[in-house]
Amino acid sequence: MHLSRRQALGVIAKGGLPLLAASATAGVAHAEGESAPVAPADAVSMLYDTTLCTGCKACVSACAEANGLTPDARLDGLHQAPLALNEFTKNIIKLYDPVTGPQSFVKQQCMHCLDPACVAACPFESLSKRGDNGVVTWESAKCIGCRYCEVACPYEVPKFEWSARNPAIVKCEFCQHRLSVGLQPGCTTACPTGAVIFGPRSVLLAQAKDRIGAAPDKYFEKRVYGEHEAGGTQVLYLSHVPFTAIGLPSLAADERPGRYLYWQKLAYKFFAVPIALYAFAAAKMHQNFIEHDRELREEHRETGADPQL
Amino acid sequence: VIVKWQRGVPVYGVDVMTPTLVGTLAVGMLGFVLVAYRQVVGLGPVTGMSNAYPWGIWKTFNTMVLTALGSGSFAIGITAWIFKKRELHSVMRTSLLISFLLYTTGLLAIVVDAGRPWNLWNMALPWRWNTHSPMWEVALCMPLYAFFPLLLENTPPILERIYYLHPVLQPSIRRLVPIIRATYPWVVALAYVLPIMHQSSLGALMLLAGARVHPLWQTPLLPLLYVWAAAFIGTSVVLVTLLLSLLAWKRPIDTHAMRALASLTSDLALSWLVVRLVDILVRGQFGTAFTFNSYALTFWTEMVSIGAAGVLLRRQVILERPDRLFVTALVMASGGMIYRYALPLLAFAPHAMAWYTPTVQEILVSVAFIAWCHAGFLVAVKRLPILPAPMSDWDDLVDYIRYLAPWIQMTRSRHATSEHRSGYAY
Repeated sequence: MHLSRRQALGVIAKGGLPLLAASATAGVAHAEGESAPVAPADAVSMLYDTTLCTGCKACVSACAEANGLTPDARLDGLHQAPLALNEFTKNIIKLYDPVTGPQSFVKQQCMHCLDPACVAACPFESLSKRGDNGVVTWESAKCIGCRYCEVACPYEVPKFEWSARNPAIVKCEFCQHRLSVGLQPGCTTACPTGAVIFGPRSVLLAQAKDRIGAAPDKYFEKRVYGEHEAGGTQVLYLSHVPFTAIGLPSLAADERPGRYLYWQKLAYKFFAVPIALYAFAAAKMHQNFIEHDRELREEHRETGADPQL
Repeated sequence: VIVKWQRGVPVYGVDVMTPTLVGTLAVGMLGFVLVAYRQVVGLGPVTGMSNAYPWGIWKTFNTMVLTALGSGSFAIGITAWIFKKRELHSVMRTSLLISFLLYTTGLLAIVVDAGRPWNLWNMALPWRWNTHSPMWEVALCMPLYAFFPLLLENTPPILERIYYLHPVLQPSIRRLVPIIRATYPWVVALAYVLPIMHQSSLGALMLLAGARVHPLWQTPLLPLLYVWAAAFIGTSVVLVTLLLSLLAWKRPIDTHAMRALASLTSDLALSWLVVRLVDILVRGQFGTAFTFNSYALTFWTEMVSIGAAGVLLRRQVILERPDRLFVTALVMASGGMIYRYALPLLAFAPHAMAWYTPTVQEILVSVAFIAWCHAGFLVAVKRLPILPAPMSDWDDLVDYIRYLAPWIQMTRSRHATSEHRSGYAY
């Protein structure tokens, strides 16, 4: 079969449509498969219970020690007293102190989401979620310092070393260096009251539900924060005060990157949409350019001036 | 007299080294000094950015807003080349120059803003790509566009200058012409697909911020609205730049081409406005626009300027006067800029109690990038055949060059006389 160039282009351009349809279907199937992120087989977890925490901050100094962080003593030049998670602080204890009603301490660190927004955002996979235990880690050599992870994280956990010449992204990495040698994270090792404990996610989730079952009125909304939030997290919370009061944002199960980037992923699947657009644009350009070129030559014949493209 | 723009003609008979240019270059140089300082001390001491507002004006304004200003060439190009709106061909060179300048400085801003720019070489390692990240898409697609199709589209005026000024190179340029002709459509088609890709991805960036972006802006349609806004901002910026240049250097204005550009801008803007409003209504968030706060104020400023300018760009009373057209297009561009700027910064509200105020150094660097664009534009239009003009202006130029430098051979058109210079059409 002989095809002229234009016919061939037509075929390519039209071929783009079924390709688009096919990829759209594939994309829907893919997204459905993604609709509920599942925890990795050996997902490690932390369970923090506000009713048990005494605010001793042993976990804060243990974290700094385990991760070789300079203690943040900027507040009074003496005590390690960070005001928030920052470039020296991967783990913090804060106090919720309302005018009326009960007080509560809260521990903040990376939530190790099942569908982490920072990992979805990271352009060169510097932040990645380990396939075995689900820990979200940061790799120095791949990070360009764009800070998109900070914009994307719904818990606002990743921090940037603003004053460094070679700035790192600082966030809790679940003490992966300790896990890999069979140790627990610094914070859970140090906690004297068992307010934060370490274990497999399935086990800790069951344990949290048992605690709610044993004392239902003790816990806010009788549920575990982190079971479904933003698709689920590997750090779980039990609280006797509203979650939002202690800085845990209210997030629906589908407020996660898998859904946010659904259309984006679909459009870039196999690069089908860009390729189809290019085929169309190139076919039309080729055709119209020949016409335009002819007009230019005519103008040149008429006026005698050199044609301009 | 009806003026018809037929070709690019440099602004001739004026100095290139004007006090304006020297001042602009000084501002640009100051920017480089501050950039060097930023590289030494890190981002924190120089900028107002914080962990709550990790993106400041370098990324949100110089990249996300100013590249929209430079999107005229893809919108005009698609209309002119794909949809055969012939009268728009004459303004292509101007829009391509604007695009190239704004894109290169926008990219430079990204590199200056990046905390670890030396790791950008990861772009060359496909196995490290996170192809689902909008940031990856922007990081790869934007430089690809600026330094491949956009750069190539900007070479004909440069080749033309070399052709006339260096006769010894004429044979080699002649040999280049058929190659350019043969590859032009294939390269230029890329210049239309790539901006659609990265301009939409710039919008997709903020999808991941979820509910922390105000619901008047946060929508699954962000990628579409963002690239669409870039299209009409780009065309209005071409209108603004052309009118300002033509009025400043007293060159004839082609009413027909300007009207085509105005109507394209108006069509794009009004249809965008409809989609934006329908989207807000469908999501049931229109009520939030009637709260008295900075978000609602930003929203209405944006809506009213785009809507009013969109309607006015169709009105005879505006179209018949270049100064009125200039102001209307400026209002349109500003409205669009507010939309583009609101998404990453004004409508972004992190949980952490914080506010972002750019520092003086940060603003100076940002202004320096704009200064480089301005300087580049001033030099380019005076040295290269970029700004559109009727054939008679070309003939005047040829006469002028013949008088000044008789050894340069340029072809006049056949019918014109030397004192013939078209009147001002408006």
